[in-house]
Amino acid sequence: MPLLNTLPDYVLTTKTDELINWMRKSSLWYMLFGLACCAIELMHTGGPRSDIERFGATPRASARQSDLMIIAGTLTLKMALRTRLLYDQMPDPKYIISMGSCSNCGGLFQLAYSVCDGVDKVLPVDVYVPGCPPRPEALTEGLLKLQEKIMSERWLAREKAVDAVAQA
Amino acid sequence: MEPLEILKRVGERFPGKVLEVSERKPDPFAVVDPAAIVELGRFLHDDPEFAMDCLSNETGVDYKDRVEVVYHLFSYKHRHHCVLKVKLPRDNPEVATVEEIWRAANWMEREIFDLLGVNFNGHSDMRRILMPEDWPGHPLRKDFVEPLEYHGISTVRESPIIRLDQQKKK
Amino acid sequence: MYFDYGIPLALTIIGLVFMAAMIGLQKLLAPYNPFPRKLMPYECGEPPTGNAWINFNVRFYLIALVFVIFEVEVAFIYPVATVYLDWVRRGQRLFALGEMLVFLLILFVGLIYVWVKRDLEWIKKVPD
Repeated sequence: MPLLNTLPDYVLTTKTDELINWMRKSSLWYMLFGLACCAIELMHTGGPRSDIERFGATPRASARQSDLMIIAGTLTLKMALRTRLLYDQMPDPKYIISMGSCSNCGGLFQLAYSVCDGVDKVLPVDVYVPGCPPRPEALTEGLLKLQEKIMSERWLAREKAVDAVAQA
Repeated sequence: MEPLEILKRVGERFPGKVLEVSERKPDPFAVVDPAAIVELGRFLHDDPEFAMDCLSNETGVDYKDRVEVVYHLFSYKHRHHCVLKVKLPRDNPEVATVEEIWRAANWMEREIFDLLGVNFNGHSDMRRILMPEDWPGHPLRKDFVEPLEYHGISTVRESPIIRLDQQKKK
Repeated sequence: MYFDYGIPLALTIIGLVFMAAMIGLQKLLAPYNPFPRKLMPYECGEPPTGNAWINFNVRFYLIALVFVIFEVEVAFIYPVATVYLDWVRRGQRLFALGEMLVFLLILFVGLIYVWVKRDLEWIKKVPD
C-alpha cells in the first residue's frame, strides 16, 4: 500500500519529493529536551531576538508530537536510557540535533564517571552543533543545515543505488 | 563565639564523646565518636547558646585507611559556625543519620552513600542520587575502577588530542 | 424548493473528499515503522508504572449534567426565535411571549434549586 521508495525518477515523483521535503523542513516541531546550560541557549533561540519560530520550529513538550529532538546539555548515564526510550517513542520521520559539546562528545565532563560521552553512543545524530554553549545563531545555522539535509531525502523516488565503481 | 571556643565547650560538656579538638588555624574541627554524633547534633541544635539550626554542608572524604564524614554547622541566630568530623573504618562504614535534626541531611547523606558507600542507619530514603540505580561500586572511593560499559553504552571515548598528535607525527 | 438542500449536500461532499484525500495521502506517503518500544504508553521516558485508568473527581460529572440540561433548553429556544416574527404578524405576540416565558420559568426554577443547593460552587462548603 505505501508508495515509499517505489517509483522511478520521473519529474513528477522527484518534484513531489521536493514538495514533501519542503513541507517537512518548514515545520520541524522540536521537543524541548534541555538538560543543562545549553537549555538556556535553546530557550534564547526560541525567544524574540533570534527567533527559531520563523523557520516553523515550535517547541513541543511531548515526544509524540515532535519530529525533531534537540539534545541540549550533558547526558548522564542515568538519563541516556530514558533518552533512548524517548527517541524510540517519537513518530517517523524524526531527526536529531546534538547541541553543545556535552552532547557531542561529553564536553567538559568527558572524564567524569557519571557522564555518557556524547549522545551518539545511544542515538543516531543528524547534525552536531559545536559550542559551549552554542550561540543562538549557531543553533539556527545547525537547523538550516538540517533543513538542507531534509531537502535531499527521497520519499517517492527510489533511493539512489550506491555506485559500485565509486566504491572500488 | 569563635569556632574553637564552641568546640572546646562542647568537649567539656561531653567528655568521652569528643575524641579530639584540632586547633588548626583557618578551620578548627572536632573529631566525634560515631555513636554520639546524633546526641551531639541534637544538643548543638536545641541549646539556645549554640542554636546551630543550619547544616550548611555534610560531605565524606576517603583517606587511604579510613572514611570520614564532615559536618559543617551554622547558626543563623548567633552567626557562628563549627566543623565536626566522624572517622569510620573503610570496609562497611556505618553511622547514624542526622536527618531528624536537620532535614537538609536527607539528600546530602544520599550523595555520600552513592559516592562513598557510607551506610546511614535510620535514613528514610537510602538510595543512589547521581549514579543509576544498578551502578556497580562507589565512584569517589580511591580503589574504584570504572566499568567499561553500562547497559551497552561504552564509557570510553577516544580523546581528539591523541588523534591530533598521531596526525602531526605523520 | 429542493435546491436549498443542495448547499449542505455540496458541503458534505467536499468535506468527505477532503478527508479522503488527507487520509489517503497519509496511507500512501507516510512512513510507518511500529515496534513494541515505540508503542509503549508515553510516560516521559520512564517505563510506565501503574494503571492508566484513574478515578476522577465527581464535580466534573455534576458540571456536565447541569450543562447538558441548560444547553438543551437553549437549543429549544432557537427554533422559537426563528418563527417568532410570524406569530407577531398574526397578532398572537402576547400568547407566544407567555408560552416562552412559562417554559423559561420552569427551567429557571431548576436553576434556582441547583444554586441554593450549592451545586454550582466548585468547592462545596459542607457545614461541619
